[in-house]
Amino acid sequence: MNRNFFPCAGARALHAPTRREFVYGLGTTLGSVALTSLLAAEQKGPLAPKGQMVPAKAKNCIFLMMEGGPSHIDCFDPKPVLEKLHLKEFTREGKMKSAMESGKRYYVKSPFKFAQHGQSGAWMSEPWQHLPKVADEMCFFRGCQVDSVNHPTAMYQMNCGNRFGGDPAIGAWVTYGLGSVNQDLPGFIVLPEVSYPQGGSANWGTGYLPAQFQGTALRSKGSPILDLQPPQGITPEHQRANLDLLAKLDATHAADHPWHDELKARMNNYELAFRMQMEVPEVIDLEQEDAKTKEMYGIGKDATDAFGRKCLLARKLVEKGVRFVQLYNGTWDSHDYIERAHGNLIRGVDQPIAALITDLKQRGLLDDTLIVWCGEFGRTPDNGVRGGTAYGRDHNPKAMTVWMAGGGCKAGHTIGATDDRGMEAIEEVRHVRDLHVTLLRLLGLDDNKLTFYHAGRFKQLSQIGGNPIDKLIA
Amino acid sequence: MDRMTRNITLIALLLGSSLHAEDAEALFVRRVWPLFQEKCLACHGNDEKKIKGDYDMRTLESATKGGESEVKALVPGKPEESPLYLASTRQHEDDWEPMPPKEADKLYAEQLAWIKDWIAGGAPWPDEAKRNAIAKANAKKWSAEDGITVKTTGALSPEWANRRYKPEALWGYQKVQKPEIETRNGENPIDALIAMRMPEGVKPASAADARTFIRRATFDLLGLPPTPEEIAAFEKAFAQDGDAATKALIDRLLESPHYGERMARHWLDVVRYADSSGFANDYERGNAWRYRDYVVRSFNEDKPYDQFIKQQIAGDEMKSNDPEMLIAVGFLRMGPWELTGMEVAKVARQRFLDDVTNSVGETFLAHSLQCARCHDHKFDPVPTHDYYSIQACFGTTQLAERPASFLKSENTAGFEESKYLETRRIEHMAVLKQLDDKMLINAEKWFAEKKLDRTVWDKAVANARKFVQGGGQMRKARSFTGVFEVARSALQKQGLPEGQYPPKLVGFTPEDFGNERVARKGLERLKWELDRYEPFAFSVYDGRTPQMVSVNQPMRMPKDRMTEGELEQTAILGGGDPFSPTKPVKPGVLSILNTIEFPDAIEGRRTMLANWIASADNPLTTRTIVNRLWLWHFGQAIAGNPNNFGSTGKKPTHPELLDFLAATLVEKKWSLKEMHRLIMTSAAYRRSSELQMADSKLSREDAEKSYAVFKPRRLMAEELRDAMLSITGELNPVMGGIPNRPEINIEVAMQPRMVMGTFASAWVPNPLPQQRHRRSLYALKIRGLRDPFMEVFNEPAPDFSCEARDVSTVTPQVFSLFNGQASYNRALALANRVMKEKATDAVGRVFELTFGRKPAADEKALCEAHWKQMEAKQAQISFAKHQPPLTVKREAVEENTGEKFSFHEKLPAYADFVPDLQPTDCDAKTRALADVCLVLLNSNEFAYLY
Repeated sequence: MNRNFFPCAGARALHAPTRREFVYGLGTTLGSVALTSLLAAEQKGPLAPKGQMVPAKAKNCIFLMMEGGPSHIDCFDPKPVLEKLHLKEFTREGKMKSAMESGKRYYVKSPFKFAQHGQSGAWMSEPWQHLPKVADEMCFFRGCQVDSVNHPTAMYQMNCGNRFGGDPAIGAWVTYGLGSVNQDLPGFIVLPEVSYPQGGSANWGTGYLPAQFQGTALRSKGSPILDLQPPQGITPEHQRANLDLLAKLDATHAADHPWHDELKARMNNYELAFRMQMEVPEVIDLEQEDAKTKEMYGIGKDATDAFGRKCLLARKLVEKGVRFVQLYNGTWDSHDYIERAHGNLIRGVDQPIAALITDLKQRGLLDDTLIVWCGEFGRTPDNGVRGGTAYGRDHNPKAMTVWMAGGGCKAGHTIGATDDRGMEAIEEVRHVRDLHVTLLRLLGLDDNKLTFYHAGRFKQLSQIGGNPIDKLIA
Repeated sequence: MDRMTRNITLIALLLGSSLHAEDAEALFVRRVWPLFQEKCLACHGNDEKKIKGDYDMRTLESATKGGESEVKALVPGKPEESPLYLASTRQHEDDWEPMPPKEADKLYAEQLAWIKDWIAGGAPWPDEAKRNAIAKANAKKWSAEDGITVKTTGALSPEWANRRYKPEALWGYQKVQKPEIETRNGENPIDALIAMRMPEGVKPASAADARTFIRRATFDLLGLPPTPEEIAAFEKAFAQDGDAATKALIDRLLESPHYGERMARHWLDVVRYADSSGFANDYERGNAWRYRDYVVRSFNEDKPYDQFIKQQIAGDEMKSNDPEMLIAVGFLRMGPWELTGMEVAKVARQRFLDDVTNSVGETFLAHSLQCARCHDHKFDPVPTHDYYSIQACFGTTQLAERPASFLKSENTAGFEESKYLETRRIEHMAVLKQLDDKMLINAEKWFAEKKLDRTVWDKAVANARKFVQGGGQMRKARSFTGVFEVARSALQKQGLPEGQYPPKLVGFTPEDFGNERVARKGLERLKWELDRYEPFAFSVYDGRTPQMVSVNQPMRMPKDRMTEGELEQTAILGGGDPFSPTKPVKPGVLSILNTIEFPDAIEGRRTMLANWIASADNPLTTRTIVNRLWLWHFGQAIAGNPNNFGSTGKKPTHPELLDFLAATLVEKKWSLKEMHRLIMTSAAYRRSSELQMADSKLSREDAEKSYAVFKPRRLMAEELRDAMLSITGELNPVMGGIPNRPEINIEVAMQPRMVMGTFASAWVPNPLPQQRHRRSLYALKIRGLRDPFMEVFNEPAPDFSCEARDVSTVTPQVFSLFNGQASYNRALALANRVMKEKATDAVGRVFELTFGRKPAADEKALCEAHWKQMEAKQAQISFAKHQPPLTVKREAVEENTGEKFSFHEKLPAYADFVPDLQPTDCDAKTRALADVCLVLLNSNEFAYLY
């Protein structure tokens, strides 16, 4: 059985030329691509690697986006007080009262037992069975806050800094700032769920940055990149013949318009694309990995197969020099029955993530690679009576847990704190823009220097500037 | 060296490093203190609670004392020992973090020199009274040297109010001055104005040949290619009398109804048109298409532009009985907006107000007003007071879908497609009915388990049954009323304690939860879609702000609009936060231009605003639109940021030309068609894109900028698609009406799309090819589901106003255009057309249709050889018949239970699907010619316009 990461994508790799014969790029223009693998030092163009602005360990980032809003209270931030308050009435007053508050509300305790792990004593809930083994690699942050209580706007803010979408995603900024080591692959790759998150692909958009920094979604079902292959029946030879005719006609036209540079860029683009459609299936083929590795990631087990494949592919991509890989999992939007819902979700990612950290460490890549885990917000300690008492939680922009591993973060520490009910951050309280500034800093970028002039002003990921959270940096 | 730099240098030279005390004081007042205000105090004093690094720069004492480093920051007389200065130089990074932190904010050499000289001069720090006195005494002298102050209303600080501007930064506010032009021999004044700024010794390119010109003009005005017959006729006429033929061509194109479609595409880019609301629900805006068609009609009618403005801002106020006017104000709601139960209503309302304020500014005044939302504008003379004055014009503007009967000029064909939605609706209702029955049974079980008496319950159920059978509360049968829920809420209302009657959704399995949610949310979404066929306008009305919790169905205008709800008192919002109102403001306009007294009334505010914007005297308005028109013809605007005439936008390259066009527009009674005639008959527009560069010292870029040569462009996404459909003969030229759904990449069409609480329905194309093959303007535009073909070819996302399209060259374009199913379909249709025509020279005909010319001998030979070669290949391929999917399986984690859950979405419209011409319908010879066609459709000659 063909068990590629992308089950439908392997067949065409049979004809794939070796890497030595072909190089290709995505979204690069003329001048940035010629034999780039061999001539890395001389690369020019938007995706050419650039130096860090400030000294930092991390060179790559794997961003684990738990879409829907994972509950800090049921994952990493235990609230024993809720045991006593369980099912007692909850009221919230004030201006921020939304319709979410309508009806009766009551406190909900976490259904999970918590324990401390590692030398650092990191708190984790019971369903996390594998992550405890790497607890001392992790740095937990409990002080982050966002502005929005709705999924798409909070997702946009976490990903792009701006609640209303349309701005460059963090991966686009990082690639813009650092370029990409591998000119043969996009610098910013996204591994979405089959169903895109609310807000869609704008979550990995390039905004006003040049199109080259757009996140490229490798789809987990069907064609990994849209229209990567021609329709059924069209062989590579067939296509090559068409391409040859195109090249000849375009050459005549270009000779008549020698001053028109765009023509050459566009001609070149066709050759790059042709090579790429040969190469991508090979890149995403997980079959070459040994059985032990696959087992470690939980590949082949129902609960963990999907996310295990993503994590393993993320490692492969980072190894190949992809700058920024974002993985989606979800939805963690557990409004009801948190025990079942979050229990299943945690079990789906626990082993794969632990394996990713372990594997990167074994390969000496963990220092170079910053892993970030978060959702778009946290969850409330209470729930409303909707379908009866259902032990779930609503959205909470005022408290959440973000954790990092590798890449120069302060491993083995828990920074910041939420109040005794997990309702609001109360220690090291930071707006998400400070988290963004910190992530950039860990990757050697200075948010205040990583700017782009657009619509009359210099814009930046943090929107208005922010301060790094020094306590998260080793 | 500009005047300002010269003055500064002069001061520096005269004063050297040792200033007299009074000169140092003056330097502080004139330069240093304003500089601190601009660059430092935001973090070092203005907000006492948030002073950074513990360094407060509000007084000499605190500024001298220093911050958390505990080092004295200011050593009078010794700049090189003053950290304040050292940090500003950014040259002492090891000791002092560069300030201001942002690279973009760094101080220029002159500014550094001011600080240095001031410290060297003893760092005097006169108090506010003395500062004012010094400023007053020097006002005349300084304004002559430094630039001018302007009068605005309500600045947050006197420093801002007295800020000086370089006159050239205020160009947009100056009165439009029509230049005196001497033209000879019927020369177009545009050419005289362009010649004025032509670099010396540059001889502009000669006129483009007839074939190039007709292709350029036809795409520019219609967004479509000319037919071979049109080209031949024009070439013939052009040879006889070039000028007359050109004029006749432009007249013909301006009369074509496709002109309006083309201009609408530009306009809708600016206003962010879409058929859905965006964000979490991304509900469809069933009636938005009527605004799109209103725009098309307006351009085709050559509606005077001032009317066009007024109608879009205040049509409903001016003629509340005219459906057209109710449709026009849809403009005000073009931005994404929703109110979900998760959000605070006031925040959502404020989002609308901010959106509309900025949108009116960008669209009509080339002013991005949002920069003044939280503070007086950093660069432009727009105080935050003005921002809220303009916002106050919308403080009584409320959102509603309003009854508006269909106009004769509207296309109301195709409404019968609602039957597919009806199928879905019935199905959702059936599911809910089934679940209702199930709950009633479960309720009985519940009573049995709890060993409770169910007499009261049974009675409630019997009553509920009667109620439901009598029609319930169903609104047009689009909502579901269940017996169980009616019975349950009756008991709840009677005050029966919880626990005495069954809980909501009693006894549901995970599957039941999922099915219930999908059906319920599906019904909710259908309400918006079904509104498409109803005579409503996506519109606004004047009134008080109604109390709202969430918006889950189309909004209707309340009867008590003038009395119920909150009468909003617009106020300056601290930090833009709707919960932090400060000073109340009245409706108003940009105070640098005018002050207008608005009546204190709910109705009529927008009319006042619209009249002010659409006034011939408003210099921003006329310049804004002629600048856009110029961009739409030349691919570059005169003022390079058509949405931003402020000081950070690009200055006009040809200011006299811009003013000439603005003045002419008013003279021509705001007729845009007259402006097209004027622009397109200019030599500049008719110029070839070929310049013998060997003769010229200009770079290609400069030659284009100075209009010595015409700037070529790549076709826009929509032009690429429409042109392909046009040359294959498949294009259905019918105008307007409900949006159509062309085929898009099938994987994207079928991909599950999460919206709040459920999946949005799949993208199912219209059944018939002629329904699908309409101009791209008419394709349903969903914010959360974009056609990937359009997206990769730089169609802008409809969230932000697009002032000018980007053109990038990225690899996914190749995948779309060279591998995509649509391209294969078009290539096959083109080949089939040519084969059917039985052209003696098939390759020649393909060239003629695609490029508008015959192939050269070598091109023809190449293509014919390829055709032959591919015929052999094609003969070996076997094709499967296209089988449209009738259902698609959706898998999710059920929100209520956390269990995996799946259901099958039915796709009824696919049952009637007639595919485009298929490879199985054609012989190998045709398919092989299609290979040639595919190549031509991918060629640069096709994609570029010269």
